[in-house]
Amino acid sequence: MANFQHWLEQTLRGADTVAALMQTQWAWPIAESVHFIGLTLLFGSIAAWDLRLLGIVKGVPIAAFHRLVPLSVLGFTLNAATGSMFLMTFPDQYIYNPAFHLKVLFLGLAGANVLLFYATTYRRVDVPGARDSIPIGARVAGVTSLVCWMAVIIFGRLITFYRPNGCTGDEAITFLARCFP
Amino acid sequence: MLRTPGMFDPFFVWIESTALNRWLVESTSVFAFPMVLAVHTIGLALLVGLNAALDFRILGVAPHIPVAEFRRFLPVMWAGFWLNAASGVLLLIAYPTKALTNPVFYLKLGLIGVATAILLAVRRRVLAEQIPAPQAGRVKLLAVASLVCWAGAIVAGRLLAYTYNRLTAAGGFE
Repeated sequence: MANFQHWLEQTLRGADTVAALMQTQWAWPIAESVHFIGLTLLFGSIAAWDLRLLGIVKGVPIAAFHRLVPLSVLGFTLNAATGSMFLMTFPDQYIYNPAFHLKVLFLGLAGANVLLFYATTYRRVDVPGARDSIPIGARVAGVTSLVCWMAVIIFGRLITFYRPNGCTGDEAITFLARCFP
Repeated sequence: MLRTPGMFDPFFVWIESTALNRWLVESTSVFAFPMVLAVHTIGLALLVGLNAALDFRILGVAPHIPVAEFRRFLPVMWAGFWLNAASGVLLLIAYPTKALTNPVFYLKLGLIGVATAILLAVRRRVLAEQIPAPQAGRVKLLAVASLVCWAGAIVAGRLLAYTYNRLTAAGGFE
């Protein structure tokens, strides 16, 4: 895994045009602001949907909430774009950062959760008769989604406090490297 | 006014000597300053995220959700609001000089105030159990203003890290 991390770091270093742009005076703060605005669009639309799955809103078909998905896609796109720009500017600061590792883990879990939900439970809740009886699978998907996205936000905010400072030689060997020797 | 060096310094010096300030600034625990920041971001996501969803619904996104149903989300939004009022006070106790000597901080607070007032006005108009006569045009204007104010508050908040004049009262200027 450390070799993959090293390869990714070297590959991202190739994006020196983006890195140069991001290191102009206001580019980084602007990209951060966009990242936070994207976060609210993404989280808000997903949370509304999750809360519907948990039964906070009754009597409205889940399919109606499905129409909020474009907001989620917009937020996700903004954040994938700005997030990639951060990564291309200082790849080592993220790739060897345990907070970033956990952020990516919970992003993956959130993605797997939504795929699993659409593959299994969605067909059962997206019928007119299913309005007020929410299957347990839908509730589990809702809670999982809320927990995963909150974890993504928390670990994202913690990235700056876990910046790697290169190897000192006594790093414990774990699944993911925290530096590259 | 608060940019004038010295005027409120005794107050800043006092806050910066309290045990709570010392813990927030000096603790190496992730549950001190870092977690307060993380909680502040969760509150932002809950309040502004759901408010943005409501604003976009008023503007025509997801038209099959009755707007009034968004009142079910109000308790979650207020939870986000109070979470951020509390975490915001802690952040202020951690770095009072940094925030209170920066005009951008007052811009941020002003925008939050306006955005919250807009939410209350929207609640009165479209989130009540008994909905009064529809005023679709006015409410759409409020929704746009809400999105602009929240986006402005987020940008101002982020810029606080880049625009401050003084970090601490004891640390002097710049």
